[in-house]
Amino acid sequence: MRIATLLLLLAPALCLAEPASVIRATVMKQQPASDAPATGQLAENAKVDALERKGGWTRVKAEGGAEGWVRMLALRYAGAGDAKQGDSGIAQMLNVARSGTSGTQVATGVRGLDAEQLANARPNAAELRRMDGYAASKDGAGGFAAQGGLNAQRVDYPKAGG
Amino acid sequence: MNRFSAVALLMLFAASPAQAQFNINRLLDAAKNVGKATGEIGEKEEIDIGREMAARLLGAAPLMANDAVQRYVNNVGRWLASQTERADLPWQFGVLQAPQLNAFATPGGNIFITRGLLERMRNEAELAGVLAHEIAHVLRKHHLQAIQKGARMELAGAALSTLARQDRNTPSREKLLAAGSELYYRGLDKSDELEADRLGVVIAARGGYDAYGLPSVLQTLQAMNPEDSGVALMFKTHPAPGERLSALETMQPTLDAYAGQPQLADRFAGAARR
Repeated sequence: MRIATLLLLLAPALCLAEPASVIRATVMKQQPASDAPATGQLAENAKVDALERKGGWTRVKAEGGAEGWVRMLALRYAGAGDAKQGDSGIAQMLNVARSGTSGTQVATGVRGLDAEQLANARPNAAELRRMDGYAASKDGAGGFAAQGGLNAQRVDYPKAGG
Repeated sequence: MNRFSAVALLMLFAASPAQAQFNINRLLDAAKNVGKATGEIGEKEEIDIGREMAARLLGAAPLMANDAVQRYVNNVGRWLASQTERADLPWQFGVLQAPQLNAFATPGGNIFITRGLLERMRNEAELAGVLAHEIAHVLRKHHLQAIQKGARMELAGAALSTLARQDRNTPSREKLLAAGSELYYRGLDKSDELEADRLGVVIAARGGYDAYGLPSVLQTLQAMNPEDSGVALMFKTHPAPGERLSALETMQPTLDAYAGQPQLADRFAGAARR
């Protein structure tokens, strides 16, 4: 029992090492910066364990045990064909709302947002009015941003197509 | 846009149960004007159309019953929208009570995110990245243009026959009604989605957030099984997350320049996880 509890406590930490691969040949860096010294070289599609992210960098552990930082945009989790994590359980949850053993769908309103529901939706004006009531003012949102220490920046859009 | 498609487009939204604000004659006049004009739909019409589409989305899934979460998401979204060239639209944001992972925008500034997606996020910068992507759809009128295109191609005939009979209870009315929602399960053009990703990164950075919020949500999605019922619709209507991440490599300089800005994980945990 005590061991089971301990395992449960450890579970979140274990989840941090996620199987991933790099989409191109990549140099692992000692720190999350492009001018940091290299700690190793990964071949295209090399399998790694992703450990943590910092800015645009993710710390990984290579199959040989070497660790280093690689560009997060060059990482893909559990590459195509690998066993991915199973279903999130939403399907099972939704099946509860289906009638009988045939799985025929009934409009119980708890199935969530799928194509069929979107196609058959009727306008809900009352809910839209409720949404109106939650709107933030420009000034209110400005105060909220300041509270969080957010500072507006001038950043240009990329050129069209780029 | 020619006159037929203008009529078709406006009929699409005229034939709804929330008809009070959509008088048929007024719409016909507007359709004539739109047909004569530049092909652009005015901002007033854009907002009306967007509200109609928002009401329909809310008919598919209601708002999550949590005032604090709704207000929090509105604050984040309104702050981001204020950093854009359409800061004065009537922006509003809603968390839909749905387990699936998805987000939607309707013309004129109505943005939705599902509770399922919100629950997979780790900080406010990730939320900002997703809202900024949706804001970009509104800025560039992606849905409005898709509707215009669809109206032009498919609906003109149906709308005219409906008009001729002035009958709101024919099967073609149902067809018209359905077409407005179709975008949300058929999807926009891939180029629109990739553009919204690029602009979304910029808008989040302008708001002072860690610019990697959106890429890190894409990475969360990329790690999920595409067959998972929670992401099936979103994957069907968007380019694969891996492809979106690759496309964002062109934004690397912007991403890196604003990677050190706040993520606000604590504020997010306090506000969105109640």
